[in-house]
Amino acid sequence: MEELSKDLNTNLQMLEEIFKDVDDLVFRLVELGESKTKACFVFIDELIDGARLSEYAIQAVLIDDKKDFNLKLFTSNLIKNLANREITISEVKEEEDLGNIIDAILSGQTVLFVEKEKKALLLETRGFPTRGISEPESETVVRGPRDGFGENLKMNMALVRRRIRDPKLKVKMKKVGRRSKTDIAIMYIEDIINENILEEVNKRIEQIDIDAILDSSTLEFLIEDNYLSPFPQIEVTERPDTVAASIYEGRVGILVDNTPFALIAPVTIGAIMQAAEDHYSRWTITSFIRLLRIFAVFLAALAPAFYIAMTSFHPGLIPTRLTYYLGASRINVPFPAVVEAFLMEITIEVLRESGTRLAGPIGSTIGIVGGLIIGQASVEAGIVSPLMIIIVAITTISVFALPNYEWASGFRFIRFAYMILAAIFGLYGIMLGIVVLFVHLAKMESFGIPYTAPYSGLGLREGDLKDTLIRAPLQKLKYRPRFTLPKDKKRMGDIKNGKEE
Amino acid sequence: MEKKNRISNQQLKALLVTTVIGIGILSLPSEVAVALNNDGWIAILIGGLIPVPFIMIMDRLFKMYPKKSYFQITKEVMSPFVAYIFFIVFFIYTIVVIGYIHRVFAEVIKAYLLENTPIKVILITMLVAVSYAARSRLEVLARVAVMIYPIILGFPIFLLVVNLPNLDYTNILPIFQLDIKQIPNGIFTAYFAYLGFEITTLAFNITEDNTKSVKYTLRGLFTVIGVYLIVFFVTLSQYGVFQLKRGIWPSIDVIKEVDLPGYFVENLDGIVLAIWVLVVYSSLGPFFHTSGIILKEIFNTKTHEVFIPFLIPITFVISIIPDNLVVVTKVMARILEYLAFIVSIILPVVIFIVAYIKKRRVKT
Repeated sequence: MEELSKDLNTNLQMLEEIFKDVDDLVFRLVELGESKTKACFVFIDELIDGARLSEYAIQAVLIDDKKDFNLKLFTSNLIKNLANREITISEVKEEEDLGNIIDAILSGQTVLFVEKEKKALLLETRGFPTRGISEPESETVVRGPRDGFGENLKMNMALVRRRIRDPKLKVKMKKVGRRSKTDIAIMYIEDIINENILEEVNKRIEQIDIDAILDSSTLEFLIEDNYLSPFPQIEVTERPDTVAASIYEGRVGILVDNTPFALIAPVTIGAIMQAAEDHYSRWTITSFIRLLRIFAVFLAALAPAFYIAMTSFHPGLIPTRLTYYLGASRINVPFPAVVEAFLMEITIEVLRESGTRLAGPIGSTIGIVGGLIIGQASVEAGIVSPLMIIIVAITTISVFALPNYEWASGFRFIRFAYMILAAIFGLYGIMLGIVVLFVHLAKMESFGIPYTAPYSGLGLREGDLKDTLIRAPLQKLKYRPRFTLPKDKKRMGDIKNGKEE
Repeated sequence: MEKKNRISNQQLKALLVTTVIGIGILSLPSEVAVALNNDGWIAILIGGLIPVPFIMIMDRLFKMYPKKSYFQITKEVMSPFVAYIFFIVFFIYTIVVIGYIHRVFAEVIKAYLLENTPIKVILITMLVAVSYAARSRLEVLARVAVMIYPIILGFPIFLLVVNLPNLDYTNILPIFQLDIKQIPNGIFTAYFAYLGFEITTLAFNITEDNTKSVKYTLRGLFTVIGVYLIVFFVTLSQYGVFQLKRGIWPSIDVIKEVDLPGYFVENLDGIVLAIWVLVVYSSLGPFFHTSGIILKEIFNTKTHEVFIPFLIPITFVISIIPDNLVVVTKVMARILEYLAFIVSIILPVVIFIVAYIKKRRVKT
């Protein structure tokens, strides 16, 4: 920890030495008052809001150059007086540690050095180009708030804070990344959250020692429980209302600078299968859709595997007439069902990948060329059977029906494993795969919370199914979900609309 | 709060039900019908009540030595030599059970799903899959059990509903025509279908609230009895007692009889059997896990995981020793019945008596 010297020039030379070859570092020398006390503003050009700096800091100290800074009042503690009486920037801080000063300059603050002072003044002048608030692209809703996170941490925190006006909402700021020094904010409500979860989150973030955190995904992969699993163990969202709702449930929201994706921990299967809109629509349709989603999980993972198993091993299990039709449609197909299925599934994955990387209009061209033309032509060319096209389409659509992208991707991936199992062992292989998946999921934990909750026990008795398997009417959801083991369990009082005696 | 290495009583109940219900249910109706004709339900009922006193005994034992596992208690109560003999008997029991269940289930799979696949391949794949579960903590098995629990409960209800149109209830009559001498035999046969409860009682010491463990275990046991009774009555009224006696796996065959219009699936037995893989898996898991735990106690290692890979070939060999299904059901099952009798009844009683006397002596 290096300290500042009393001599302004020494300090500036020291900075020049450290920031050698950094040409965007600006030194702005000024003279204060009649005594012409030397002072210097140091900042990085593009990280600051220039107008703010000149108007509220430089102008403020220079405008009144007749003012006698030699007055006893001033000379005794010039830095403090500048901060208290002259500079009109909202956030000002005294600092004497060189390391912190360098961090401040790099993060976009302006540092004011004054002659004969061992302290410098940090001025909050951060201002850099950011994208405004826009609609979240990966999680759109028909009904509900449409603001999404941006790349600016402060803005994102504001979006969350606007939804929780509670002094118990705690915001812990941390810097992660040896070189990137990325700001992250850990948000939670003190009297709801379970300490063990919070402690675990803090402990894991403390342990991180990495060059740079460019996106919240880096952080996610470094603090999750089982990094070999294909399934996400931390929820990712770009919706501030989702983060706020999770914080109210007793979970931790982790916001990372420079990315619109916030993290939420812990997560369970019950929570991962929920979409943002679930709580904004009526309970009947939402309950129905939630059940559909569970069905969609099985379709996404198993549809092609079932096709393979049925056509190659158990034609007796499907209705006889369908078997005839299937046989007739496959009569020109030269491959076994598994090759056929792999061919089509891989084609659709390639299509999807190319579609994602391309911009809107070109992307839809890919969709038409890929989906319609290849599908139609490959059936006519006799490479695949029409039923296979249906299966592939169903699978792909089902993947999109799952609200969590990473979770859906997990199933997209293990689908191929199931296809291989089905090709070797038929239905038996599929079931073996399912049961191993069950065990794998049951083994997983997210910050000490069983990943399979509430389906595996935790919270089952207390009624967590009411807000996971289905969504009961709001009146029935008086308690917070139990999987987070919240300290404050009740979130709603009794409601008697029109039932008063 | 769910603490580390703890299971809730609900999970304990689910664990009991999933462990007990496995392959026994597939052949149980015909076995009790052979012994007691139409009154097989008496055997199912009484056989299901036999475990009750032994569950109580285990509970008392764990209360005498709180926070200790069954094997630690055995070590403390018995002389080391006797304790090791107990362990070895228990170990042999578990691996024979694993071998037996595997073999029977592989035969079922071969008969209904994979006619052309060699039985050894089915055995090996199942063993490897189960070993994955056995490597984890009991807590994980309990979670899996809760997930599979609704499937098991759904099975008898499903069976009942789809069979309702073509059941002939007169087949249930006449009741109480039983031969008294046959009752013990029938009960013994039925008791065999309840094996697995002794594995679950080992978890008494890791439940969150062990004052209620017995209550939940008994609830689980009664659930199993209920499931067995429903399956028995459905198969009996479907087939009549004479045909039921000749069936090998009447509980599967009965699903074959279902033919309702509008089904997407034509032969339900294949689908139901495929789903039954989950159920059998969940009863194999705890046995496999326990055999690993016993080895851990014998060799005093830190974890049981290291032994699981070695158990795969051992259990595989045991499961392929019998030449055919007849040997499995007639010889292997007999051996197993005696082993089960020793492990689930005699061992706990002996340990309990010795422990009781020792505690008495300390007090006076």
